[in-house]
Amino acid sequence: MNCPMESHDPEMLVAYAAGQLDQEAVAAFEEHLSGCPECSATAADQMAVWQALDVWETPSVSPDFNRRLYHRIETEMRLSWWERLTRPFHPLVLRRILPLTATAALLLMAGLILERPAAVAPATKGAEAVRAEQVERTLEDLELLRQFSAARPGNNEHRDAM
Amino acid sequence: MRSVLLQFGFAAVLAAGACSLSGAQQPAEQPPAGQPAVEQRLNAVLDRWNKMSPEERERELAKLPPERARRIRLLLHRYNLMNPQEQQALRQRYRTFSELPQAEKETVRQRLREFRQLPRERQVTVHAEVDELRRLPDAQRQARYESAEFRGRYSPQERQIIKDLTEYLEPEK
Repeated sequence: MNCPMESHDPEMLVAYAAGQLDQEAVAAFEEHLSGCPECSATAADQMAVWQALDVWETPSVSPDFNRRLYHRIETEMRLSWWERLTRPFHPLVLRRILPLTATAALLLMAGLILERPAAVAPATKGAEAVRAEQVERTLEDLELLRQFSAARPGNNEHRDAM
Repeated sequence: MRSVLLQFGFAAVLAAGACSLSGAQQPAEQPPAGQPAVEQRLNAVLDRWNKMSPEERERELAKLPPERARRIRLLLHRYNLMNPQEQQALRQRYRTFSELPQAEKETVRQRLREFRQLPRERQVTVHAEVDELRRLPDAQRQARYESAEFRGRYSPQERQIIKDLTEYLEPEK
């Protein structure tokens, strides 16, 4: 028989995995499988899918699911175009989405602030000003250090202590 | 509707809190990258002072007694007259000094003031001794402190100046 993978015709393989082949076809295909690793691997994968589907249990729906579904469909059908347009702004809807929107806005704002801090908290002119005491203290320290260095042997710098 | 407003108000309060927190965390000035922190502070103080307008500087100086204001002008003038190499060397020494713990910094200040009061020839001798001691390993340095020659050559005040400046100040290049 022709190899389903080589002939790009996997129908035989899918039918085999689904148990839809008759006994004669199954025997012929299994004979092919024994000599074709590619088909053998694909068939094993396909069988695994079918087995997984066999054990899968669909979630049960509530007893009145259908009734509520059809009732909602009918309600939707009766809405005017204006009601459909303004429905997102209905207080009940707003009540549900507003906390989410506010949280998203908050996160966005925090992101912008952290990304561009200078835009929110610019340095004021007052913060940039240096107090005279700061300058005095720094200059005094520098002067003490300078005078010590000036006394280094071989340093001809004039002492001129202030 | 009231709960919606409450939720919105809560979000607004959180947002305002985030704004103020973020603003409080930002330093007033971002120093340039790659400079040591102390040098940045030094640059920040002197450079910012130099960048202030003459009126602003005078306003600040007017807060001090006239004698202190005059001295600041003199010291600043002297600093600005130094060439870039001298300024760089001085900043290097200042950086080491600034990184000392507060108590040790105060000790160094005191010793430098005492050093300043010494006669010029003693200053040169003391400075040479400090240079010499810095080159010695710890053990030899301690031995030198204990030696009769060291004790005979320097007064108690000079010995203390030598010891403290040797320990705390960076060797000069």
